[in-house]
Parts: sequence; C-alpha cells; structure tokens
Amino acid sequence: MSKPIYKIVDELPTNNMTIMVLKSLDFVVPGEWNNLVGFDNTIREVTGETDEEIIQQIGDRAVWLYNDKSQGYQRSMWLYQTVDNADKALGAAALANKVGNSIPIFGFLNRVTPNPDKAQAIDLSIKLVVEVLAFCQVNGIPGDSIGEFAASISNYSGEAIMRMAALICLDGLIPLGPDFLIKIDSILNNLSPRDLEENRTFNSINEEIPGEDSESKLNFIGNSFASVRDWMSGFVEERDLSPDKIMDNIRGFIEVSDDKLDYVAAFLDMTTNYYEHTGVQTLARSLIDRAYAEI
Amino acid sequence: MIPSLRKYLAPFLIVTLLLVTSCAQQPASRYEGAQKDSTEGPQRNQTIAKEATQGSQFNKFFPKSSDGYERVYTQEKKGFSQAVLKQEGKEIAKLSISDTVGNEIAKKKFEQSSQKISGYPAIQQGKNTTAVLVEDRYQVKVSSSELDANEREEWLEKFNLRGLANLR
Repeated sequence: MSKPIYKIVDELPTNNMTIMVLKSLDFVVPGEWNNLVGFDNTIREVTGETDEEIIQQIGDRAVWLYNDKSQGYQRSMWLYQTVDNADKALGAAALANKVGNSIPIFGFLNRVTPNPDKAQAIDLSIKLVVEVLAFCQVNGIPGDSIGEFAASISNYSGEAIMRMAALICLDGLIPLGPDFLIKIDSILNNLSPRDLEENRTFNSINEEIPGEDSESKLNFIGNSFASVRDWMSGFVEERDLSPDKIMDNIRGFIEVSDDKLDYVAAFLDMTTNYYEHTGVQTLARSLIDRAYAEI
Repeated sequence: MIPSLRKYLAPFLIVTLLLVTSCAQQPASRYEGAQKDSTEGPQRNQTIAKEATQGSQFNKFFPKSSDGYERVYTQEKKGFSQAVLKQEGKEIAKLSISDTVGNEIAKKKFEQSSQKISGYPAIQQGKNTTAVLVEDRYQVKVSSSELDANEREEWLEKFNLRGLANLR
C-alpha cells in the first residue's frame, strides 16, 4: 500500500539542502515559493478555512481522491518521486551536520562525478516530460497533450513556477552554461534510441512515456522540449539569468570556485530532490482545491 | 539468587523499554479513518461514481472572461471541472462545478438551505465558499477569501445554471 498523502505532506522537510537551494532561487521568482508543509497547514493556506470540521471534511475527501488510483494523483506522485531518485548517495546523511554552515564543496569532489553534456540534456528533458505527464494526470487531460501543457505553463505559479525555475537554473544554466537551450536542442536532434536506452533517468520512467518503442518515445521527449523551449528562453531573458547570477546566491552556503560549475551541478543533483519536493506541494494543492470544491 | 536475577533483569528491562517507546509513537492522524476506508473498504477506488458526468461537459457553463476578469481552467476530471478567476493576473476566486452523484454528503448540506440563487438552493460553506445545487445534482461553487458573500453570489449568477440544469 502506498504511503498516505497526509503523511507525505506532513513529512516534507523544512530545513535541508533542497530547501536552502530553493530559497536561494527566490530572486528568480520572487515570493512565489514559501515551502508550505504539513497537510492541515496546506488545507488552511489553500482554502483560507479555519473551521476544524470543514478542514476534516476537506482532508477526508482529499485522502479518498488520492487513494482512488483512477484519479491519477498517485501516478503523478510516483513520477515526481522517481525522476528525482537517481543517485542520492551524498544525500541527507552525509550533509546532516553541515546544513546551516557553508559547505566546502571540494571536500566532496572525489565523490561527485559531473554528468557529461549528453546525460545532462537527457536529464533535463526527462524532467520536463515528467512535468507534462504529471500535469496531464493532475488536470485530467489526455497524457500526450503537450500543446495544452505548453499553453498552461505561462500560468504556472507558486511551487510549480519554482520547480521550473530550478529546472532551468540547476539542470540547465549551471551544468550546461548560458546557451543550454541550443546545446540540448542539438543533443536531442542527434540522439539515437540506443543512447536513450542507456540513460538511467530515462529507464526509471520509460514505461510511462507515450510511444511504442524508444524511437517514438524519443520523439515525444523532443516534442515536449520543443513545446516549452521558447518559453524557457523568454524566462531566462526577462530575468537576465546567468550561471554567475545563480552562483552568487548559491555561494551563501556552498564554497566553490567558478571553474567547477559542472561539479556544483552534480553535487546539487546528488544532494537535493527539488523536483519531488515541489511536486508533492503542487499535487497536494490541486488535490485540496478539488476536495474543497467537492465537499 | 543474584546471578538469576541478573539473568532475568536484562530481558525485563529491554521489554519494558520497547513497550515504553512503542507507546511514545506519534498520535494517530485525524485522517486515518478515511485512509482505512478508502484503501480497504468496499468503496475503495470508487470515489467518483461511474454515472458521473464528464468534467469537459461542464466547461461551457462557466462565466466567460470579461471586464478585466480572466477565467483560466485548471482541472477537468470525471464529475468535476474547475477554473480560477483572475484580475490583473492575480487569482481572486476559484470556480467549480461538480457532480454530486455518489457523493451524498455534499448534497445533504443543501437540505439546510434557506437561500436561493437563480431559483436554486444555496448555502454558505465555511468562511469562503458559496454554493448552489442545480437540479438536485450539480454543485456549483465560488470560493474566495477576497470576495465577500454578495460578490460570490453575483459570480454564481454568471454561470449558465439553466444550461447546466438541462444537462441531466
């Protein structure tokens, strides 16, 4: 049996590497993300209701909706959790006593392996695919509706826009540089189905990606990326984002030199789960919105 | 005597310790009942009734974007459709239509209704919601902490409630 939704939301952390990194990205989407945790707390915040009986009714309905597998919430949860669950060997345990201090990254360099550009391009694209699929599941539109997703992304706010901001910064700009979109475009265009099959992130969610074989899945991945490429490019331009700007904010808690950006990216990849964390928050919000409307 | 006491003391202490720590576990969640019923009860995986109307059929009855207000659809599922109402890009309310078939509790609250909106029974629910029940089946809601009850009522009147009534 899967874990109850109220437990998942109650157990969201309030102070770890993921939270510190996301807070440092507040300058990208000011005030959009405030790390809302706790199931009851989320109900109060999303609905503005204070009556305990109403809160109980909303929570009960949300639990029913979440546990009904046909409603797609559990599948979305699985997608967010799985895509972020690759290699977390340097996770919470290794850093437990370091949070709150500035972490000298060179102490970990021998345990961090930067992603080659190809793997990094696939990683970012697969995370985007997860967003398309989870968006469709949660909002109840067919699973391959890339167009509807692309049209909605400009309305993203709160946790969802923070997730996209972090994707652009942590999985795009820092590891691949200012021209990350051009790089990803060219890598995806030259990718073979075989390359895809050798990628761990792809394999973790392979079966959920629409398409009969790796070639058609590759097409779906390419189309997903193409559908939001312009939006991402506009997002970076409007905010004048650069690896330097992001690093200026991250340097508050990680000590690192400028020529080690690919190591920073790998280090953050291994020590954070921002996709899962904000994914749970987005999902809880949608679920509670619906429960509130249906009680 | 002493060695045999020692022999029993250690296991006794361990058992006591285990009992104490297991009792000190977190208190049960207030949602445990719902969790149990929705995963083990006869109604599991049937939260939405088979005969519920598809949410896509509700969309045309929502108020249209106008006068500086923008309507953005957010969720559309079997038996449910929801949009947010925005003013100058800021969300000011949530609008929804849901099918109460198979959701008797939702319908029951309208028995206490003493108010009508466009001829349909209406209620205030909690602090921030006003709802009407159309044709004893479709629940239409406006939820907002920015709009007061009168303003929510005005928005409910902007739904095509007659059209929705004919959907049955």
